[in-house]
Amino acid sequence: MTDIAAAPARSVGFFFALAPRGKAVFFALAATAVCLLFAFPVFWLILTSLRTGTGVYYVHRGTEFTTDNFHEVLSQEIVLRALFNSFMISTLATVLSLGVTATSGYMLSRFKGPIPNAWFSLIYIFRCVPYVAWVLPLYFVTQKLHIFDSYWGLLLPHIAVHICFFSWIMKGFFDGIDPSMEYAAMIDGCSRWGAFWRVAMPAAVPGLTALAILCWLYTWNEFLFALILTAHETPILTVVMAQFVHELGMEWHLMSATAVIALVPALIVTLFGQRYVIRGLRI
Amino acid sequence: MPELKRFIRLCVATAVGLAVSAGLVCTQAQAQERELKVGYMKNPIQDASLDMMDKWAKAHGVKLTRVPMAYSVFMEKVTATLTSGTDQFDVIWHNDDWGQLWKKWLEATDDVKGMENADRWPLLAFWNDDKKLTVVPMAHTVGTFFYRTDLLKPEEVPTTFEQLISVSQRLQKEGKVKWGYVGGMTMNNTWFSLWWTMWANNCDILKPLFERDNDKLTAAKFEPAVSEPCHREIVEFWWDAINTHKISPPGMTAYGRNEANAIFMAGEAAFTLVDSTHFGEFNDPKRSKIVGKVGMAPFPVGPRAQKPTSWNEVWGWAIPKGVPAERKQLAKEMLSAMMGDEAGQIEMWKKTGGPPPNLKLWPKLAAEDKDFAALKHAVFDQTPITHSAYYFAEWPAVHKAYSDMAIAALSGKREDIPKVLAEHADKIRRAATGN
Amino acid sequence: MNEKTRFMLALITPAALVLILFQVVPILTGADASFRNWTLHDPKRTWVGFANYLHVLRDAEFRDIVLPNTFGFMIATVACSLVLGLAIALMLNNRFPGRWLVQSFVLLPLMVAPVIAAIMIRWMFNDQFGVVNAALEGLGLAPISWLTQRWTTFAVILLTDVWLWTPWFALILLAGLQSLPPEPFEAARIDAASAWRTFRYITLPMLRPVMVVCIVIRAIDAFRTFDIVWTISGGGPARATELFSIYAYVEAFQFLNLARGSAAAVIGAIVIVVFALLLYRVLNRFVEVSK
Repeated sequence: MTDIAAAPARSVGFFFALAPRGKAVFFALAATAVCLLFAFPVFWLILTSLRTGTGVYYVHRGTEFTTDNFHEVLSQEIVLRALFNSFMISTLATVLSLGVTATSGYMLSRFKGPIPNAWFSLIYIFRCVPYVAWVLPLYFVTQKLHIFDSYWGLLLPHIAVHICFFSWIMKGFFDGIDPSMEYAAMIDGCSRWGAFWRVAMPAAVPGLTALAILCWLYTWNEFLFALILTAHETPILTVVMAQFVHELGMEWHLMSATAVIALVPALIVTLFGQRYVIRGLRI
Repeated sequence: MPELKRFIRLCVATAVGLAVSAGLVCTQAQAQERELKVGYMKNPIQDASLDMMDKWAKAHGVKLTRVPMAYSVFMEKVTATLTSGTDQFDVIWHNDDWGQLWKKWLEATDDVKGMENADRWPLLAFWNDDKKLTVVPMAHTVGTFFYRTDLLKPEEVPTTFEQLISVSQRLQKEGKVKWGYVGGMTMNNTWFSLWWTMWANNCDILKPLFERDNDKLTAAKFEPAVSEPCHREIVEFWWDAINTHKISPPGMTAYGRNEANAIFMAGEAAFTLVDSTHFGEFNDPKRSKIVGKVGMAPFPVGPRAQKPTSWNEVWGWAIPKGVPAERKQLAKEMLSAMMGDEAGQIEMWKKTGGPPPNLKLWPKLAAEDKDFAALKHAVFDQTPITHSAYYFAEWPAVHKAYSDMAIAALSGKREDIPKVLAEHADKIRRAATGN
Repeated sequence: MNEKTRFMLALITPAALVLILFQVVPILTGADASFRNWTLHDPKRTWVGFANYLHVLRDAEFRDIVLPNTFGFMIATVACSLVLGLAIALMLNNRFPGRWLVQSFVLLPLMVAPVIAAIMIRWMFNDQFGVVNAALEGLGLAPISWLTQRWTTFAVILLTDVWLWTPWFALILLAGLQSLPPEPFEAARIDAASAWRTFRYITLPMLRPVMVVCIVIRAIDAFRTFDIVWTISGGGPARATELFSIYAYVEAFQFLNLARGSAAAVIGAIVIVVFALLLYRVLNRFVEVSK
C-alpha cells in the first residue's frame, strides 16, 4: 500500500479545496462517518459469527462469545470443497474472461464500421435481458452439453455475462492508449497481431489487473448462477452459505461464520489489488 | 515488455494448472458401482430419513448419493428436470404442494412394501390420473400449537381465540414474556397465522367451504369465500392481535417462520404455531433458549367452531418416470426398507420431531414417549376440517393473491378490511382460473 | 473478406462463441417460450402468439405498481450511489493520513456476497431483534417496524443497494480522477477559482466519459435488481415494493408459468434497452453542453 501514499497525489479534489487547513476536522469527521457506515454491516456479520447459536437472535444482547461456529463450519467437508471450488472458479473465470474481452475491447476501440457496431449492439442488447428470462434455458443448455454441475458449466456462463461490461471498459483502456505506436510497429513489419500483442497489450496491463480484481470479487460473490447451475459435485461457497438459512430452518450463526471465512480471501485480493485497481481503471 | 510476458506466462500457467487439477477432481468423482441419487432439501428430518435408506444401501452394496438443493429453487429445478426427461435423480423429495403438478412425471408407488401402513388422509394430493399413488411418505408435517410449559400449566393453555388474547395479555402484564403469539405471515408462511385461525373458525378460502375436489371447485367457478363474515373475522382477529391487544409484534405482517421461530426460541413469546417438524429445533440446546419448556396443545377454537381442528400432511419421496427400470426397482426396494425400518423411524422422531410414516408405530410410540403422546393429542387426535392446501395447478397463484390481500388488509385501517377483502376476491378468482 | 476484416472477426471470435452459446441461445429460447403455452410442469409448447404479452401489458398491477416501482428504484439507487460514490472518490483523491484505511473500509461491501448482505440487512431491520431498533430504543426513540410499510421497506432496500454499489462507483470514479491531467486544475488554482467552480467546470466535465458509462451500466443492472429485494421484502408488504424482475420471477417460478414470466422479462428488456440508449444520448449531450 505504500505505493499509494508515495504516489504524487494531485490536489484536484473538491474537498481539498474546501478544506485546505481549517476544515480538517470536518474532513476527518466525514472520513470516519464514511468508514463506520460502510464497515458496520460487516462488523455486525463478524460479531454474529462469534455468538453462540442461542445468542444470534438478539446479537446485541448478552456477552457470551465463541469460536465454535468456525470449528463447526470448517469441519464440514462440503464447506472446504466449496471454498476450493469457489477459488478455482473465480480465478479461472477471471483469467478466461480477461482473455476473451481484451481482444474484443481492442477491436471495439481500434475499428469503426458495421462489424464493431453490430458487435457492440449485440453485447449491449443481450446485457439488458434480465436473468429470469434465461437462467432456466441456460440450465438446459448446460445439461445438453453435459457440463451441468461441472467447472465448465459454471465458468462459461460467467464469462458470457462478463463480456459486455468488460469489453466496454477494455475499449476505454485502449482508447486511452495512443494507437500511433501500433501503426509504427506495423510499418516496421509487425503483423496486426504482433502490434496488438507486443504494443497495445503491455500498455493495458494496469487496466487488466484492475478488471481482474473486480472480476474475481464478482465471481466469488455470485449466487444465482451457482445456485442454478451446480449441484453436489461442484458445491460453491455462496450457495453453501445461503443454505444455512432457508425457509424451513436456520443456522444463522453458521451462515455468518461461513460468510466471514469467505470474506478473508476477498479481503486479501482487494487489499493487495487496491493500488492496481485505482491506477488501472480508466474508462 | 518483460512485464507483460511475465504477466501472461503467469496467467497461462495458472489457467493450465487449474484446468488440469479441475479435470482430476472431476474424474475422481466418477463412480463405478451401483448408485442411487437422491435430490432433497437439507433438513434434519430428510437427512434422518436418508440415514435409514443409507443403512439399506450399505447392506446391499449400493452407493447412495445425496444431492441437496436449496428450498428456494428445489421445486423449480426438479420440475424442469422431470419435464426434460433427464435422469438426474433416482429419488426426489416430494411435497403435497406439488403433488398434482408432478403426477404425470412420477412412477406409481403402490407396490412399495409398507405403503399399507401409511395414513391415507394425507395422500390425497398424490394420486395420479390412473388412481395410483406417486409418493412414499417420509414424515408427517402437521401444524402444531406450541406453548411454554414454564409459563402455563396444561389446563391454563388457551382453547379459544378469546383466551389466547386474555392469557397472552396476562403473561405480558406479569412481565413473563414480551409477546403472546408470534407466527409467520408472509407468502408461504400464511399457515402459521391466518390460515390456522381461518380453519379453526370454520372457514376456508374458496367455496364450497372445505371442498378439495377440483371438479366441484371448477363447477363452483372458484368462488372465493374471503369476504364472508367467517373470514372477515379472522383478518380482524389478527388486526386486533397486532394493533389493539398488542399480543403480537407490530412487524409480524413481514415475518416468515424464521423470524417467528427466532423470537419464540429466544424465549420472547408464549405461543406459536408452526410445523411440528420444528419441535427438534426448539429443543436443540445449541440453538434454542427454551429447551424442555415447549408443550403442544390442540389449536384454540374460533367463535364459529365447537371443537379444535388440525391439518395433517406428509413429506414424501418419489421416483421419476425417466429413471431406467433397473434403478427404479432398486429405489423401490430402498423405500420399502425405509418404510419397514421401525427402529429407524422411531429414532427419526426422537432426533428431529418428524412423526413416523408407519401408522402402526404410533400407539407404541405414544405409550413410551410423552412428547409423541402430546403431539398425538394436540394434532392427530383432532379431526382435520380439510387439507391445508388446494391441489390444482393454479394454487400457488391463489396462495399469492390471498397473501397479498391479507397483508394489504392488515397493513391498512381496521374499518377498511371489508373493502380490501371484497376488492381482492376478484383477484383470487382470476388467479384460480388462470386469467 | 480482406485481411482487416479477418483480423476484426478473429479478435471477437472467442467472445462471440461463448456469448452465443451461453447467452444468446438461452435468451432466444426464453423469448421463444414467451410465445407459447409453456408451463414448467406441463410444457405443451403450442404457439399462442402475443397472448402472454397482452396478458402482462393488460395487468393493471404491472403497469401501475411494478413499472413505476422499478423506475423509481432505479433512479433513486443510481442517483444516491453516484453522488455518494463521487463524494468518496473526491475525498480519497486527496492525500491524507489513513487514506489507505478509509479506502479499505469503503471497499468492504464489494467483498460481501449480496445475498448474504441482504439476509443480514433483513435481520438487522427486524422490529424485535434487529440492531437498528435496539439502537433507536437506546437513543430513547420509538422502534419502527421497518418492513411492514411501503416507504420504510423501500428505504431499507434502497439503503442496501446503495451500500452495495457506492464502492463500485467510488472505485471507478477515483480511477477516473487520478487519470485526469493536472494542468487545468493548476490553472484554476492560479485563477483562484472557488472549489465549487473548479468542481463544476473542470472536474465534472472531464469525468464525463467515465460517469456516463458508469451510470448507464448501473442503470441497466439496477433495473433488473432481483436478489436483494427478493430476500429483504419479497416484493412486499403485499406488492408494495415489487420490481419487474420479481414480477417475472413470480410468474415463471412461483406460478410455474415460464411463458408468462419470459414475456414479462422480454417486455422489461425492451423497456431498458430503449431507456438506456436514451439515457446515454441525453447524458452525453447534457454534459457536453455544460462543458
